Amino acid sequence: MSFAPSTTSVKLVLLGEAAVGKSSLVLRFVSNDFQENKEPTIGAAFLTQKCTVGDRTIKYEIWDTAGQERFASLAPMYYRNAQAALVVYDITKPASFIKARHWVKELHEQASKDITIALVGNKYDLVADDNDSDDSLRKVSMEEGKALAEEEGLLFFETSAKSSHNVNEVFVAIGSKIPEAKPVTEELGSRPGNVGRIDLSGPALRSNLSDCAC
Amino acid sequence: MPAFRRTERRKSMAERRPSASYIPPVIPPLSGLEKPNSHSLNMDQCDILILGTGLVESILAAALAWQGVNVLHIDRNKHYGDSCSTLTIDQLKKWSMEVNAGRMAHFSDAQIYIPGGKHNNTFTSKDYGVDLCPRVMFAQLDFLALLVKSRVYKYLEFQSLSSFHLFENDHFRSKLSNTTKEEIFTDQSILLQTKRALMKFLKFVLQDNADESKQELLRNNSNTPIEAFLKDNFRLESPQTDELIYSIGLCNAKGTKTPEALARIKRFLVSFDVYGNFPVMMLKYGGPGEISQGFCRSAAVADSTYKLDTRLVDFDPQEKIAKFNDGSSVKINEKIVVSPTQTPKFLAKNYAELEEKLQLFTVTRLTTIVRNDCKEWIAENETSAIVVFPPNSLPTNNQYSVQVLIQNGGSGVCPVGELIWYSHTSEPNSAKAKEDLESAYTKMESSLIRESEADLEGVLDESDFTVSHQGTPILVNSFKLGESLQNFLPKKTLDIVCKIGYVQTTYINPDLSNVLLDKKQTGNISSLTVKDSSDILFLNMPSSEVSYDGIIGEVKLLYQRITGSDEDFFDVDFEDDDEDYSQAVASASAAIDSELAIEDSDYDPSHHEPFGANEMEL
Ligand SMILES: Cc1cc2nc3c(=O)[nH]c(=O)nc-3n(C[C@H](O)[C@H](O)[C@H](O)COP(=O)(O)OP(=O)(O)OC[C@H]3O[C@@H](n4cnc5c(N)ncnc54)[C@H](O)[C@@H]3O)c2cc1C
Ligand SMILES: Nc1nc2c(ncn2[C@@H]2O[C@H](COP(=O)(O)OP(=O)(O)OP(=O)(O)O)[C@@H](O)[C@H]2O)c(=O)[nH]1
Ligand SMILES: [Mg+2]
Repeated sequence: MSFAPSTTSVKLVLLGEAAVGKSSLVLRFVSNDFQENKEPTIGAAFLTQKCTVGDRTIKYEIWDTAGQERFASLAPMYYRNAQAALVVYDITKPASFIKARHWVKELHEQASKDITIALVGNKYDLVADDNDSDDSLRKVSMEEGKALAEEEGLLFFETSAKSSHNVNEVFVAIGSKIPEAKPVTEELGSRPGNVGRIDLSGPALRSNLSDCAC
Repeated sequence: MPAFRRTERRKSMAERRPSASYIPPVIPPLSGLEKPNSHSLNMDQCDILILGTGLVESILAAALAWQGVNVLHIDRNKHYGDSCSTLTIDQLKKWSMEVNAGRMAHFSDAQIYIPGGKHNNTFTSKDYGVDLCPRVMFAQLDFLALLVKSRVYKYLEFQSLSSFHLFENDHFRSKLSNTTKEEIFTDQSILLQTKRALMKFLKFVLQDNADESKQELLRNNSNTPIEAFLKDNFRLESPQTDELIYSIGLCNAKGTKTPEALARIKRFLVSFDVYGNFPVMMLKYGGPGEISQGFCRSAAVADSTYKLDTRLVDFDPQEKIAKFNDGSSVKINEKIVVSPTQTPKFLAKNYAELEEKLQLFTVTRLTTIVRNDCKEWIAENETSAIVVFPPNSLPTNNQYSVQVLIQNGGSGVCPVGELIWYSHTSEPNSAKAKEDLESAYTKMESSLIRESEADLEGVLDESDFTVSHQGTPILVNSFKLGESLQNFLPKKTLDIVCKIGYVQTTYINPDLSNVLLDKKQTGNISSLTVKDSSDILFLNMPSSEVSYDGIIGEVKLLYQRITGSDEDFFDVDFEDDDEDYSQAVASASAAIDSELAIEDSDYDPSHHEPFGANEMEL
């Protein structure tokens, strides 16, 4: 264990309008898979995936929204201690970009001050082969996304969960912006305010073999 | 490696165009879209409608949703948790106003005191999470097993609590329970004879309930007050018995019947050493309010629909159409489950009819946030403690015990350096109850001040000094110094951030007999049928019980009334969970290992060797 690279545990929350591809991005990142007609939301508490950034291993604890956001009824539990957030929109759906702006605002209000937020315009594959024709599917320009990201201090990517374009890049970029945290391996009392935490799940998962595909 | 990756992707349309000539796409105006809350429920039907996101309702929602029941779960409040919410100070203020305006059924008499005003009492409301109905979790409890089984534990953080203090003869003792099992009775002041008697009693408690001699003794004493039982059978008397009954057992009143008291004492003993040298756990960031949110999320993952800040305004029992204040209508295929604080006006009469059949109990609570870290009372590496004032221990001659739960900043419910004191009593007379709670508060306050000032050096702390530009320290608060030196026992009071008191009623008996023992739960509103409208189910208010006991019983009862049986209650195969998504075989098998670890820690009375049962020979 002593030779293992330091592992940082990062809670990452996903926000964005329905059907923009939040779950698909996670599926691509965690399983390198894509489903054409993905059912809305996934039946998981949250997913975990490790990712190597430089000499660090980031263990992402990914919270998909599960639909509670539909009527602005997300529980405070969802935001709490989130160190990173993906705000996703669909570059072919202008309304989803407006919703993304709303979520950025909400995050600044509700989440911790030093949260790392990435703005992600998804479904890039739908416009990748566009020429300059006017009937392009793209409805949100890259500038528009970039401008919002700059204004609000966010990371910015255009991705495709379908082609996997830029998906790992998002997670690597978030990982490298997360400040060097205390390693999870010395759990007890090491994190500030984490006094005497009891682990109900027995020995923590420590598989060094499952680094992410990046 | 991704199966497919563009190394050189084509430039997007926007990139290829010089930005000057770029015409921004038409974006609809922000107004309207900015507020997703204004969306009305765009669904036409659901199976079950649940009003209120309290603990029982939320567990029920998740249990139903995981069996494929289509649940619509709403709350008239803007926050989760209903009667057992975890609230910020601003939310508490609003809540108190609602209570005093009579808009919060079963709650009354809210008093909130925030001293000082903006200048000398600065705090950030958001830094606080105050439970309306705080609880502790015994490690060996069906409730914890449910958190594990439902996987809701993954959303939560648990912390240990091992300090149980008992107030007696005007001071606090913590000899009996604030200790490891090895030192449980090493207190030199206990006579060897008493020690033997205690050991004998504890062995008896831990004995299998199926044992015939034990059963007979219990049968013969089913109505005996525990005090008499201990005296006659084990020659145990006060003060040892007080600690057994009120500290370890957390009994509410004098004369608790023997079977109940024994079950409570056993609950403590079998919980010890399950996860470590402590019997009880607390949740970080808040108790029942936090767990409610966890179950709501679980239900949402299983496809329930959530909408806060929404009320049911009408229901047509023939057409089964429910109308909401957002203007939407939804057909309810099966039943409506109603929290006692969210009864719609049109059901008020039905609710009142049921109420007539039930006995009402009162819980009075006083919660205080103080600026003090109370190191003396909380064990090292822990964040919380319990203080019990047994009957007759206070100057008010309290007839019921006052139970106080203390949490410090390490538990995430308040800033570091501060404490939340949650006190409550099941004294039926609420005026008397308030006196008892105030009295307990005063005792704790003066004890705390005495302890922190016994050492004169502690009178001045760093915050009393600032350093001038030249680097010389300047005494900022010389008044405090003078006062402290002149009166060694100053009439100093604790620095309070916020103090809130309220009275709550419930149909659950403090001894939990109508939820734990009465199998048909006839004395319990969850089991009663509404006349002419069997589609409506009413729920109970939270009990006065300081643990999570009795909650699962109520949820199961409702679950059974809705689905016909409780056999498949949370009988869920979480095959969709994270493991499925892990691509590496290694991580998958590691995950299975961890599942086994959880299973192992599940409550199994036949294999569990509680509390060093065989180490207790003298
Ligand atoms: C607050 C409280 C009040 C009670 N009052 C009475 C009473 O008045 N009369 C009476 O006959 N029995 C009472 N009981 C006992 C209770 O109703 C069960 O009969 C008992 O917990 C289980 O007995 P057992 O022999 O099946 O279990 P055992 O295998 O002996 O259980 C071991 C111990 O684990 C604990 N435990 C198990 N299940 C629970 C649970 N659901 N909640 C809390 N602790 C649990 C109990 O301390 C129990 O004694 C009470 C229990 C509690 C927690
Ligand atoms: N072409 C294309 N389709 C995508 C992409 N990402 C997701 N989709 C499709 O978009 C649909 C919605 O994707 P989801 O991942 O379920 O979206 P979501 O944001 O999780 O949706 P909700 O859970 O309902 O909020 C599915 O049919 C996906 O197959 C993408 O990058 N390109
Ligand atoms: Mg989804």
